[in-house]
Amino acid sequence: MFAKLKKKIAEEAAIAPRPGGAARIPRSVSKESITSVGADSGDDFASDGSSSREDLSSQLLRRNEQIRKLEVKLSDYADQIRNLQKIKEKLENALEKHQDSSMRKFQEQNEAHQANRAKMAEGMALALEKKDQEWMEKLGQVEKEKRMLETRLQEMREQSLNLFQKRDEIDELEGFQQQEMAKVKHMLLKKEESLSKAEQELEACTRELTHTKEMLQDTSSVSSGLRKDLQELRQQCLELEAQRDELMTAETNAENKITALELREQELQTVIQQLSVDLQNARVAGSGCEKRLEMLQVEHESLKLEYEQHKQKMTLEYDERNKLIEQLQEKVSSLEKKLERNLSGDEHVQELLKEKTTLEQKLDETRQQLLTDRTHHAETVNLLETQKKELEQELQIATEALKKGKEEASEQDLQIQMLQTDLENERSKLQQQILSVKHEYEEKVAGLESQITALKTSWEFDKTATQHKLSQLEKENENLNKSREGYESSLKKQESELDRLKKELSSRETVSVEIAKALEETRKQKEELQQQVSHLTSLIEEKDQLIDEKSDMLLKKKEELNQLSQDREAVLLQMHQLQSDIEASNSRAAEKEETARKEIDELKLQIQECLLAREHKRNASELEESARALNNKHLHPPENRVMEQNGEVAAADIIQLQKENRELEQQIAEKNKMIKQLQQRMTELKKTLQKELKIRPDSEGPEVREKTNSEVPNASVTVTNNSDLNDSREINFEYLKHVVLKFMSCRESEAFHLIKAVSVLLNFSQEEENMLKETLEYKMSWFGSKPSPKGSIRPSISSPRTPWS
Amino acid sequence: MGGFFSTIFSSLFGTREMRILILGLDGAGKTTILYRLQVGEVVTTIPTIGFNVETVTYKNLKFQVWDLGGQTSIRPYWRCYYSNTDAVIYVVDSCDRDRIGISKSELVAMLEEEELKKAILVVFANKQDMEQAMTPTEMANALGLPALKDRKWQIFKTSATKGTGLDEAMEWLVETLKSRQ
Repeated sequence: MFAKLKKKIAEEAAIAPRPGGAARIPRSVSKESITSVGADSGDDFASDGSSSREDLSSQLLRRNEQIRKLEVKLSDYADQIRNLQKIKEKLENALEKHQDSSMRKFQEQNEAHQANRAKMAEGMALALEKKDQEWMEKLGQVEKEKRMLETRLQEMREQSLNLFQKRDEIDELEGFQQQEMAKVKHMLLKKEESLSKAEQELEACTRELTHTKEMLQDTSSVSSGLRKDLQELRQQCLELEAQRDELMTAETNAENKITALELREQELQTVIQQLSVDLQNARVAGSGCEKRLEMLQVEHESLKLEYEQHKQKMTLEYDERNKLIEQLQEKVSSLEKKLERNLSGDEHVQELLKEKTTLEQKLDETRQQLLTDRTHHAETVNLLETQKKELEQELQIATEALKKGKEEASEQDLQIQMLQTDLENERSKLQQQILSVKHEYEEKVAGLESQITALKTSWEFDKTATQHKLSQLEKENENLNKSREGYESSLKKQESELDRLKKELSSRETVSVEIAKALEETRKQKEELQQQVSHLTSLIEEKDQLIDEKSDMLLKKKEELNQLSQDREAVLLQMHQLQSDIEASNSRAAEKEETARKEIDELKLQIQECLLAREHKRNASELEESARALNNKHLHPPENRVMEQNGEVAAADIIQLQKENRELEQQIAEKNKMIKQLQQRMTELKKTLQKELKIRPDSEGPEVREKTNSEVPNASVTVTNNSDLNDSREINFEYLKHVVLKFMSCRESEAFHLIKAVSVLLNFSQEEENMLKETLEYKMSWFGSKPSPKGSIRPSISSPRTPWS
Repeated sequence: MGGFFSTIFSSLFGTREMRILILGLDGAGKTTILYRLQVGEVVTTIPTIGFNVETVTYKNLKFQVWDLGGQTSIRPYWRCYYSNTDAVIYVVDSCDRDRIGISKSELVAMLEEEELKKAILVVFANKQDMEQAMTPTEMANALGLPALKDRKWQIFKTSATKGTGLDEAMEWLVETLKSRQ
């Protein structure tokens, strides 16, 4: 055990500068110092040995004292050593425990860490493998699709090339057609010129014709003037006849008047006769009336007589009645007197009274009768008077009527006489008038007849003259007709020529129509081709969509990749954490080591102290041995051995600890190496990932470019393409969209103003802007050739960037 | 081909349309004025991102009226529309005293353009129906109109929602355009 330790120490001494040697150097130094201390003490002893023998006893005594002291010291030292050993044991125990625990912890942590790392590495490897496989599969798929699409694209390109060839052919055809059209147009123009010449000739002929016609019209106007004169003359004649007729009618009217007047005369005579008859009647009536008057007067007189008789009778009766009344009153008075006288005889009186009353009654009656008679009488008188008055009135009326009748008769007589005189006057006047009128008429008629004859003669003269003129005019007309016929014949000829020309024209037109048909056919072909093109474009668009989808897929995969990289980063982070944990644990272990080292150093120091002490002891023992040699020198050797054993054990323990420490350090170094290897692998993985990531964007780039190339530069594409443009562009995407939409939808005149805005928004070059302008002008203008694509834009046919406008 | 015939007809019978731009800051009422002129009604508008173009016939004169959006971000694109412009209707919100300075700077920048050298300027002091509206003279001074040289200009107080002042302004514009021809 000790030999081993010694060997180890020797080895250690042989392997002088260890990596952690700085800490151990003081130990070796201490060893040397220990040996040197021992040597020094030996020297002292030797120097002391040269002293005298006398001094030896004292010296011995001193030595013994010293030895005692040393023994005391030794015992103290032994106590101290024991204590120290105890402490050392405790410390060793503590160290062992600590080291054990730290080792255990270390091992546990290491194991855990390794397990984690293994798990992580496995998981990562598996995941990465899976992902790699998936990606490889996906990539394979994508590549296949890409190849498919590329083949399709190539086909499409071929098709488009064919199309362009066809288009060129069509253009050539159109050129030929245009040339032919131009030829036809030229011929047409020539024909039109000849036609215009013929038309001019025709116009000249027609002018001559119109001239002759005008002459004819003049002559006809002259003849019409003559005709008008004739008509006027006729009208005059007719007017004269009408005047004659009027005069005749006036004559007849006058005759009618005369007859009417005669009739009136007759009527008047009859009226006169009637009036005379009336007069006679009136006279008869007047005589009748006179007779009646006389009768009435007779009646009146008789009535007067009757009245007077009545009056007389009445007066007589009145007188008689009055006499009677007087008698009666006398009787009454007598009777009253009798009554007065015969007061005694009441009965008689009463009878008298009765008689008186009766008498009075009678008297009243008679009075009443008288009154009634009187009234009667008055009435009759009144009646008679009224009758009389009436008769008188009637008489007066009759006399008045008579007078009137007489007056009327006389008036009528006068009237009749007047009328007769008037009649006679009128008759004579009328007869005179009639005679004069007749005379006038006869004169007028004679004048008119003479006029008529004169007019007739003049008319006949005119007639002959006009006939002469007419014949002349007819001759002229015939001449003109002849010339006209000549012109007409020439016109017909020219018309026939015109027809011929028209036929030619029509034939030319048919030719042109055929050409147009051919053109239309070509146009149809073109349209078909355009349809094909549109079909192809649609196909391309589908392809583009597919490509878009694929790109979307790619993007998704990218995202997945990103996620994976994030995961990886998370794992890396975990690893870093773990590394940091490891480092922390390492640092902790280092700290522990350091603490352990410190402790070990302390222990070493203690051990050195112990060794020193031992040296002292050895010295002491040597001294003792020397002393024993002197004084049988056999005191306390076992103790020293034990002491030595103890010190050697501690040193071996320390060496062991150091070894273990070294081993642990080596292990840590190995672990660190492992960690470094793992990190290297991680970096490699990272690199591969980054490579893959780098490859992705590169493979994506051309696809996007193809996409943009295959389409008309669309707004969205340009925006995605120019995603690296400044922010304002992106903000104005809506503006751009609006402008492009309007540009496509609005009228050409408005679109023309929008070219600049569009070209500014889409960063068009000057050439592109000019091309846009030219195409729009071509669209807007009537004629004008289609602007041929310029040299800079022509190559776009080879690359599929052609707007199908 | 249809377009071809339509162009023939338009070239035969259509007289040249007068090109008018309606400009101004956002919210000044340009779109409302445009549709008030075209259909005579007040329409509800949203902020114009882009432009509106309508053909307006007034007194036998055809106008192609362009109403350009006035938002700050799209104001730089006004210059794309300046060529062949006969007249500019500059609409200003009479109540927006805060942004009259911006309006003036925009107007001045616009009038400095070479393409608009011959264009007639009509300023609409719009939203006069509001209470705190600026008077036309106030606005003319704020926009620096009196300092303009070699430019036919006129300011009118208008209200697109009430329809007042638009007829007078268009009358003046028509007369000025006719006299210039």
